[in-house]
Amino acid sequence: MSRIGVFICHCGENISRTVDVERVAQEVGRLPGVAFSTDYKYMCSDPGQNLLKKAIQEQQLSHVVVAACSPRMHEKTFRKAVEAAGLNPFLCEMANIREHCSWVHENREEATIKAIEIVGMMVERVKKNRILPTITVPVTKRSLVIGGGIAGIQAALDIADCGHEVILVEREPSIGGHMAQLSETFPTLDCSQCIMTPKMVDVANHPKIKLYTYSEIEKVEGYIGNFQVTIKKRARSVDEDKCTGCGVCMTKCPQKKIPNKFDRNIGMRTAIYVPFPQAVPNTPVIDRDNCTWFKTGKCGVCQKVCGPGAVDFEQQDTLIVEAIGAIVVATGFDLYSISEKPKGSPIKGYGEFGHGKIPDVIDGMTFERLASASGPTGGKILRPSDGREPKQIVFIQCIGSRAREKGISYCSKVCCMYTAKHTMLYHHKVPGGQAYVFFMDARTPGKGYDEFWRRSIEEEEAVYIRGMVSRLYQKGDKIVVMGSDIAVGVQVEIEADMVVLATAIQPRKGADLLAQKLGISYDKYNFYSEAHAKLRPVECATAGIYLAGACQGPKDIPETVSQASAAAAKVMTLFSKDQLEREPIVARVRETGCVGCFACKKVCAYGAVEEKEIRDRQGNLIKTVAYVNPGVCGGCGTCQATCPSKSVELDGYTDEQIVAMIEAL
Amino acid sequence: MKTTLNYSYYPGCSLHASASEYDLSTRELFKALNIGLTEVPDWFCCGATPAHNVDELLSLSLCAKNLELAGTVEGDLAVACAACFSRLKTTQHVLTENDVKRTQVEKAIDAPVKLDGKVKHLLEILAKDLGLERLAAAVNKPLAGLKVACYYGCLLTRPTDVPNLDCVEAPTIMERVVEAAGAETVAWTHRLECCGANFTLSRPGVVIQLTNAILDSAKAAGADCIMVGCPLCHGNLDIRQKEIEGVYKTNYNMPVFYLTQLVGLAAGLSAEKLGLGAMIVNPMPLLKEKGLL
Repeated sequence: MSRIGVFICHCGENISRTVDVERVAQEVGRLPGVAFSTDYKYMCSDPGQNLLKKAIQEQQLSHVVVAACSPRMHEKTFRKAVEAAGLNPFLCEMANIREHCSWVHENREEATIKAIEIVGMMVERVKKNRILPTITVPVTKRSLVIGGGIAGIQAALDIADCGHEVILVEREPSIGGHMAQLSETFPTLDCSQCIMTPKMVDVANHPKIKLYTYSEIEKVEGYIGNFQVTIKKRARSVDEDKCTGCGVCMTKCPQKKIPNKFDRNIGMRTAIYVPFPQAVPNTPVIDRDNCTWFKTGKCGVCQKVCGPGAVDFEQQDTLIVEAIGAIVVATGFDLYSISEKPKGSPIKGYGEFGHGKIPDVIDGMTFERLASASGPTGGKILRPSDGREPKQIVFIQCIGSRAREKGISYCSKVCCMYTAKHTMLYHHKVPGGQAYVFFMDARTPGKGYDEFWRRSIEEEEAVYIRGMVSRLYQKGDKIVVMGSDIAVGVQVEIEADMVVLATAIQPRKGADLLAQKLGISYDKYNFYSEAHAKLRPVECATAGIYLAGACQGPKDIPETVSQASAAAAKVMTLFSKDQLEREPIVARVRETGCVGCFACKKVCAYGAVEEKEIRDRQGNLIKTVAYVNPGVCGGCGTCQATCPSKSVELDGYTDEQIVAMIEAL
Repeated sequence: MKTTLNYSYYPGCSLHASASEYDLSTRELFKALNIGLTEVPDWFCCGATPAHNVDELLSLSLCAKNLELAGTVEGDLAVACAACFSRLKTTQHVLTENDVKRTQVEKAIDAPVKLDGKVKHLLEILAKDLGLERLAAAVNKPLAGLKVACYYGCLLTRPTDVPNLDCVEAPTIMERVVEAAGAETVAWTHRLECCGANFTLSRPGVVIQLTNAILDSAKAAGADCIMVGCPLCHGNLDIRQKEIEGVYKTNYNMPVFYLTQLVGLAAGLSAEKLGLGAMIVNPMPLLKEKGLL
């Protein structure tokens, strides 16, 4: 005979305002199997939990029902208390009489009757609860970091410094990401390369970090603590072990006029190249699409001049499988472009700005390359069209961002600050030049940020015009900027030599495809979704996968670094135990009933269903049945609902329990 | 060419008054192209640019009633004026999206609102329904050597959230139509700028300034003439041109054609049938020079 204890919570007044909690306790106390029932103002508080623990011991309770808020809120709290009192935590259930009752009703009498019924159902259900042992799974203490920008670098270094192995995968030939492209950084104007490149070198030299550049994630299988990740290492055409990074191949390559993506296509590179001189690893890669050898089968100069014989035209893409325990996704961002978009695209271009066809209308990142000492102009601000120094420059903010009519409604967060920085760099580099900024609002919430923005106006003489630009067009060698100054209420026209657009931050192209491989969720823009916007900001809903940097939403460098270190801390927490404990709410197959149709396998979103052969003692195959891997099972119950022979049951949510609840009504 | 296309026709107030040559040339061109046009019986003002600024319910109701009347004639609704087009499309859009407003309008016009009929600007009919190939086939006097600046103004492609005949910020439909008629088009900067529209009466100073920028841009791009699809734009560019030349001490001498006049010329229609005599800036010297008369 069960001895069930029922505990009714007032939730301050949240429940007791509408539900007569004392009456509920009295009525429920009369139900068969209920040995004890009481009510208390705050069940979740310390005295409330002590009341529960004391009752379990004094009344020798066998099961517990806590009638309070949603189990999403406090199920864990009460199960922990029950466990502390010596009962199996899964013999405790919550009856939700707050969200499902007191909050949504006004009539006290009706709400009280409903609360009694809700508690009564849970009493019948808890009678059928079984003792469930906690499931443990082993943890591979080795992590994968996807993306070698500042987010991935920071996460990799933190995890590796803690003594755990890290596999860092980067799609480009070098790590560094966008931060390596920047000139100087707000709000201190320290040089990006100077603070970034030492970290890149640390990654390359770290004994615990294995670096795969020019590589991509091909496939991800498994689950938290036990992932198998297939990495595609693209053919570099240069043997990394032999190459000394001397660079002779690059000086001799006859293909010298290939636009360098790293320099936003303003600077040129060779077909065998490193994207920038401080690249890590300092091993060139052959761009096979532009290499004479790969196009015509002739040339091969690089191979001839290479002393160590590192150039290998025959190299193939290779697939590498790594066992991984936790994954940090740090794939970063792409910049929105104003160019024409394909028909039907939800994101639109800027026809009114000429769809990107005016040569001296550039974006912020291109300006960074112009301003960078290691950039294509050696740090001089020069027009791409004719190499002249622009004497009047116009910066326009919120291009694509906060522009619902263009399909993006969010704020890109970093542009106000980097535009202020651009006006300063321009003022320092072009004496006598005048910078104008068209802006909607200046958003400067960060340490030292507003002071920095004010400085651009007060000391660096940038003219800020509140209003947006309706059109840009080329007139002779000038660009006419037609805009409005809403502070004064007039239309303004500026004839500029150069225009810099603060274009929106978007997730990486193909971010959705990677998310599908990883089994993580993403929003309508393809930014990856965190498990909880406030309380779990670096974790994915998928266990064992963490987020760092702009792949989750627009971020500046300090915020990205913070998030990367937070993600690393989460990985280290996971790696602090040898075994991982997880809730035993998983599906189990009744093998005698299973006919091996595998309908469950088809519907399982977690890939948890495996095929299991049942053999007799002689080893003859009797039948193949479904087996649910408890480490992978997400406990969603889809297989249970699908199984035609009713042979799968979700522990804690069996058909028997559900029927008992219905019958109690 | 066999007659396959038939439309109900909403000329709008301007085409019965100041823009009668737009009406005339539309009817003649469509006759020449074998496209049927039946004027909507008892149509009235769409409210144009002022009504919706004063009373939204009034402006929606005016258009809803006109749409109801248009439903009595067979075929999609052909509209010549950019303002009428914009208002009729907007009304359809708003009343489809907003149940509350639809109920109010139905009460106001005392009839169920009809939103299933298609509203089409003449450009759409020529470029899409008839098609550029068939249009080109109907050309017997190509506008060879004529450099045209296609002027969209504000309303042909706006408002932005209403499904429209072409891209809002970089449309090409006018260029495609007049190129099918054999003309050259120029790339210019002010084809989508506002001409000042009906401020021509209340704030002529503003209109003169805005319209001058448009004429200046067209001339700088090397255009011989401007083509429009809106009577209000036409009024400002054509009627005010002499005055603007005086204010800015310049000389444009830039004829402003309706699209139906230029396409009509290419289809071999006479100057009388196209109402070319009604234009303030005389186009005859230009057309003679280019050998198009």
